[in-house]
Amino acid sequence: MYYYLGVDIGSVSSNFVLLDSRRRLSAKVYLRTQGNPVQAIKEGFAQVCAAVPGPVKIKGVGTTGSGRHLADIMLGADVVKNEITAHAVAACSLIPEVRTIIEIGGQDSKIILMRDGIVNDFAMNTVCAAGTGSFLDQQASRLSINIEDFGVRALKSNKAVRIAGRCGVFAESDMIHKQQMGYPVEDIMMGLCEALVRNYLNNVGKGKKIEAPVVFQGGVAANIGIKEAFEKVLGTAVQIPPHHEVMGAIGAAILAEEMMASNGQLTTFNGETYINGGEFTSRSHECSGCPNLCEVVCIKRDNQAIAYWGDRCKKWETSLAARLA
Amino acid sequence: MRIGIPYGLFYFYYYPLWKTFFSDLGAEVITSSPTCRLTVDAGSALAVDEACLPVKVYYGHVRELCSQDLDYLFAPRLVSVEPRSYICPKFMGIPDMLRAQVPGLPQLIDITVDLSRSDRYLQQDLIKVGRMLGYKKSAIQEAFQHALEENRRCIQIASQGWSMAEAIKIWDGNLLEPPEAGDLSIGLLGHGYSLYDEGLSMGLISKIRQLGCKVHLLESLDAERIEMEAATMPKRVFWTLGRKIMGGVINMNKREEIDGIIYLACFGCGPDSMIGEMAERYTTGKPFMLLTIDEHSGEAGMMTRLEAFCDMLRRRRRVDESQFPAYG
Repeated sequence: MYYYLGVDIGSVSSNFVLLDSRRRLSAKVYLRTQGNPVQAIKEGFAQVCAAVPGPVKIKGVGTTGSGRHLADIMLGADVVKNEITAHAVAACSLIPEVRTIIEIGGQDSKIILMRDGIVNDFAMNTVCAAGTGSFLDQQASRLSINIEDFGVRALKSNKAVRIAGRCGVFAESDMIHKQQMGYPVEDIMMGLCEALVRNYLNNVGKGKKIEAPVVFQGGVAANIGIKEAFEKVLGTAVQIPPHHEVMGAIGAAILAEEMMASNGQLTTFNGETYINGGEFTSRSHECSGCPNLCEVVCIKRDNQAIAYWGDRCKKWETSLAARLA
Repeated sequence: MRIGIPYGLFYFYYYPLWKTFFSDLGAEVITSSPTCRLTVDAGSALAVDEACLPVKVYYGHVRELCSQDLDYLFAPRLVSVEPRSYICPKFMGIPDMLRAQVPGLPQLIDITVDLSRSDRYLQQDLIKVGRMLGYKKSAIQEAFQHALEENRRCIQIASQGWSMAEAIKIWDGNLLEPPEAGDLSIGLLGHGYSLYDEGLSMGLISKIRQLGCKVHLLESLDAERIEMEAATMPKRVFWTLGRKIMGGVINMNKREEIDGIIYLACFGCGPDSMIGEMAERYTTGKPFMLLTIDEHSGEAGMMTRLEAFCDMLRRRRRVDESQFPAYG
C-alpha cells in the first residue's frame, strides 16, 4: 500500500502517522522523545510501518516540530514545516469550519485563529513554559500521580482550590501550601487545571478573539480536566479530535501529500535501509572560528557527516554541501 | 588620545555624531567589536540582574574596551534627547552602574545629555570635555556642528532602507550589497539597540530577509509623518523611542504594501512591556507578532515563529488573490 508519512518531533513526544491516499489515518505512533530524538525517530518509523499490514511504500514525507530538521536529515523529507502551519492544516482538514485552535504541547502552547480555512492570526508562549505540558508533568510527579490519570482524577473534585498560574515556581509553592492545609488532592489537581487554563488565556490567548468552533489538540488535550476548565471559562464546547496527540504529524503528512500532488516529482524519502541500516550519532562542538563560539551540531551516519547546524555563519553547513556535491 | 565607544545602546543612533566630534578634536576613536556570544556572556556576568539584555550587552562591550589601553571611555548620561521626552531611566544610571561594577574601568567621559527643558547641561559638559582634550569653546562648537551634520547624513542613508547598523557601516565608507527584494513586506519595530544589533537580535533582520521579505524599518519612514501619527494618540508617549515606534506602528498599519508587523521586545525591558502591548492594540488591519528575546533564547524558537508568520502571510495573500476573477 502507498502511504504518506507525517512526523512530529517535539520536546516531549515524537509522533508518527501514515495516511493513505485518501487522507485516512492508517497508523499512528506516540512515543516519548526522552531526550533522544535519533532513537525516537528510528523506533517510531519501525513501529508505524509495523502497524499496517503488508509492505509499506512511502509516497511522501513531511516533518514538523522542534526536531523537524533532524527528522528531515534521517528520513529525507519532502516538506519541512513549522508546527503552526502543520497544526492548522490538520485541524482544518478534520473540521473545516474551525475558528480557534488551542494547542498545548510539552514546551510550547499556541493559539491559532482560523478564518475561511487559513491561519488569520496566531500566538505562541514567549520565554516562559508555565502553561504547558511540562509544567503539568512536573506537578503531577510532585503529587506522585500518573499524568495519564490526571484529568479523570481531577474531575472527581467538588471544589477546585485556587492556585496561582502565573509562574510554575509560584504554583508549586501555592500547591504545597494547599496540601499542608489539608485540601483533598483532587481539588488541588482541578485547581492546577484551572491555573493552566488561566495562564494560557492570559498569556497566549491575550487579546485574541476566541470564537467557536474551538478545537483543542496536542498532548495536553488528553487531560479531560483541562478540557472542562476551558469549557467553563470560554462558555462554549471544546472539541477534541480523535487523534489529538498526533495532529502535528497528520498536518505534516497532508502537507507532504499536497506538495507531491503539486510538483509531480518523486519523494526524496531515504528508504528503510538507509534509516535502519546505519548508526546515526550526533556530536556537538564549540566552533572556534570567531568569537561567536557557535555550538555546532554534527549528525553522522556510520561516521560519515550528513548534516551540520548551529553555525551562524553557515561555514560548516556549506563546507558539507560542497563536499557532498 | 584614545577614546573608546562601546558598540551598544545609543551607538546605533549617535555613533557618527560621537565619532566625528572626537575625531575633529584630534582623538583616536576605538569601538568594541560587534556583539557576539562572548560579549553577551561577559556582560551578563558583570551587570546587575535587573538590567535588560541590551544593557547587559553594553557591559560586555565596556569590558572588552577596558583592555584596549584607553585614555577615556565615552559613556554619556542620557536623560533626554529632545524636549518633553525621556530615555529609559537605566541610561541615566549607566556611568554610575559602570563605575560600581566594572573593575579596571578607564576614566569616563560622562557628559549629561538632558534636552528636556534646555541644552544647558550639554553645553556646560561639552566645554568641560573640550578643556579635557585641550580645546577652546569655539573649536568645540564647530566640531559639534559638524558632528550633528554627519549624524544627519547617516540617518539619510538609513532612510533608503538600510538598518542603522548598516547605515553606519556605509557612512564609515564600506560598500554593502543591497538586500534582495522579497515577495512579502514586513514592518519591523523595536528599540534600535536591540533590533539593529545582529549579535543581540540573533540576526533577526537577515533572517527575515532570508525568508523572502523586504524589511521596513522606522528610519525608512518619513520622520515628520511619524511624529504626526504619534500625536494622534490620546496621551503623548513619555519615551522618545517609544513615541517614534508608536508613530511607526500607526503609519505601517495604514500602509497597504506592508503585509504584517513584527515587534522585537527584550525580556526585562520596562518600556517594551507597555509599547509592545500598545503596538499590538494599534495594529488593527494586519497580522502582528511580538518576539521576545533574552540572553538564553534559542534560535529555533525564533525561526519557528518567523516561518509560521511568513507562511500565514503568504497563504492569506493567496486567498485574497483567488477572490478576484482571473479575467480582471
